[in-house]
Amino acid sequence: MTHSLHREGPIDLLEREYVLFVYPARGFNYEGSEPKIRRLAELIYTQKPANMLVSTLRKNLYSGVKPEEWFASIKDGAKVYCVFNNREQLKKALTRIKEKDEGISIMVSGLIDRVREIAAEAGLHPHTINLSLGIQGNKDRLPPPDIRQFTTMCGHGMVSPKLVRDVIRRIKTGKLDFWEGSIILASPCTCGIVNPYRSAEMLKDLIPLYTVNQL
Amino acid sequence: MLIRKERCVGCGRCQPYCPAGAIYFEEIKSAVDQEKCYECGTCLRSQICPVEAIEESPQVYDYPRALRKYFSDPNATHALTGIAGRGTEESKTNDATNRVGPDDVGIAIEVGRPTMGMDLTNIQKITRAMAKAGITAIEPENPFNDMILDSQTGDLKPELMGERVLSAIMEIKVKRPDLGPILRTLKEVAKEVDSVFCVDVITRLEPGLTIPLEVIKTIEAEGFTWRPNAKINMGIGRANKRKES
Repeated sequence: MTHSLHREGPIDLLEREYVLFVYPARGFNYEGSEPKIRRLAELIYTQKPANMLVSTLRKNLYSGVKPEEWFASIKDGAKVYCVFNNREQLKKALTRIKEKDEGISIMVSGLIDRVREIAAEAGLHPHTINLSLGIQGNKDRLPPPDIRQFTTMCGHGMVSPKLVRDVIRRIKTGKLDFWEGSIILASPCTCGIVNPYRSAEMLKDLIPLYTVNQL
Repeated sequence: MLIRKERCVGCGRCQPYCPAGAIYFEEIKSAVDQEKCYECGTCLRSQICPVEAIEESPQVYDYPRALRKYFSDPNATHALTGIAGRGTEESKTNDATNRVGPDDVGIAIEVGRPTMGMDLTNIQKITRAMAKAGITAIEPENPFNDMILDSQTGDLKPELMGERVLSAIMEIKVKRPDLGPILRTLKEVAKEVDSVFCVDVITRLEPGLTIPLEVIKTIEAEGFTWRPNAKINMGIGRANKRKES
């Protein structure tokens, strides 16, 4: 699951966005992890992430799922995925997670320099880093960067470039507003880490640059 | 995936959801190009079809087509690893498992990412190049092992050659001095691959979220740079005292 590692986009947007995972280790702290994961999920939910889900009930924050349904679904080995909109929220969440001391691995994806600052402020000592050395191969076949800044929010590739273009067309023709379009773009991601707030901002910037031929 | 023709009303709403662009109009109804379909299930999960015409195909778990499902649907648990996802737990739980030790470096080759997917013929170009360079240390629990026929040549099982996947992650763990030759090999094979792949380097951190100089120097010496955003294990996981079964 390196699927949060290659998020593309302008640095000022990346700077405001942090993905956080709660991840038990098979064979090491998996058994008996259910109550720990539940406590962590509840804690994260109270910190108001921009999107979230638990792996045992893959319905994101905007699906209409009730948080109680998430928490009730949690069993040993469940993972929690979420994305925060700013560093202060992340810092608060990390500080509280540290206080809980459940012993479950926590991963954060974000700008290295910012995560370094936040970790220091929260009194954490990061252990391992997964660096992305970028894209190799026939890059000419990739969708353009303005589309990739949406599609790479789901590293599993579930958000289709065609869906991004379709949402742009529907906003442009008045069938959707920016937020509705952003919720549609977040829906295919089964890890709940597509950030609709960021999508809405990017759509506002992008829409004037596109023309549509179908009203 | 398949679309039941007798139910489809030809609205086309499902078509933009397909990451493979595999859904098309066949006369006035939507149909799935089985060659292109990754079996990722996005069209079905979207619940966009007003008449429930989208279904999982009955052959989706038949070998070798099942590979498409395992490597393309994040909800599918891989039969080999028991983990939902394309690879293993890699760096995510390293504070509890210590799989990547202080002298090690992990390398993940994410074939087909971002967004494009890759057929097994192109994946074989990578596995063959790696084998030719003497790199055969794929992590024992990585699902790639199940695809390889001969680790010495890097040949994949011939029956898989018609398949394609949205993403698969080859994970290798070596000692730090061996990182350079691997990056060199990947740079060379990238010229032959008709799709894309991402390269990740996983390393233990020094205090203060400091990336070891040896790793940085090797990456730079091989002509790579690293993106400003990364995935970081925050160092608060630990193993249970009692060993798990």
